[in-house]
Amino acid sequence: MVDWLTMTIQMASLAMAGWCLVSTFRDRPMTVPHLVGMGVLWLLVIGQAVVSAVAMIGGDRPAETVMFVSYLATVVLLPPACAVWGFMERSKWGPAVIAFACLVLPVLLVRLEQLWNPVV
Amino acid sequence: MSDTATPADTTLRTGPGRLLVAVYSVFTLAATARGSYQLATRFDEAPLAYGLSVAAGLIYLVAAVCLARAGRTSRTVALVSCGVELVGVLTVGALSVFVPGLLPDDTVWSRFGSGYGFVPLVLPVLGLWWILRVHRADHR
Repeated sequence: MVDWLTMTIQMASLAMAGWCLVSTFRDRPMTVPHLVGMGVLWLLVIGQAVVSAVAMIGGDRPAETVMFVSYLATVVLLPPACAVWGFMERSKWGPAVIAFACLVLPVLLVRLEQLWNPVV
Repeated sequence: MSDTATPADTTLRTGPGRLLVAVYSVFTLAATARGSYQLATRFDEAPLAYGLSVAAGLIYLVAAVCLARAGRTSRTVALVSCGVELVGVLTVGALSVFVPGLLPDDTVWSRFGSGYGFVPLVLPVLGLWWILRVHRADHR
């Protein structure tokens, strides 16, 4: 886990959530720019996952490895799954799905950081 | 109501239902993963609490699948699972507050789901509201 990457993902995710909430309240469906935004966010998440995987292969493993890997898998799968599900909906509820995903993502990252670097 | 959609257009999985399915899916994962991990690693500490989390997860799964399938039978099953969920979160929530010793460790529903931003408390209410709304639109 790279700290600044986690922070960047969290900020980007919250920005994405804000943008999608605005779209929802303005009664707009999901558009291609939303999808591109989610793509960028996903690439950042994949970057973090790859860095963490390389560190783990190199022997730098968190104490609860199984838990960490399952959280990491969830974090990687959440953006594309919700992007597809939201894009299928041609109403304001499409961006609402993305907003939800983008609000959950920073929380999951906090949990990942706790598992990676337990503060005892 | 200014709803111009025909009854056939109003199905469980579109509109607000789309968001509900997403939220239910995430909570299915959260509750079952948490509960089964705890059951697998610390079964002796609080089997009832961990079992309850898994049970909550399975109910979320049923609700998510039935909302997404959106058929008539699915609607009934989803309605029942949302009802069970509401009773569950209220019962477990109240027990965790008034009889703290009963469940030695937290569950998804402890303190009315405060560990999950109270979403477990709000979710069944929204689920019931949406299912009944679709049901009523269908019978008009």
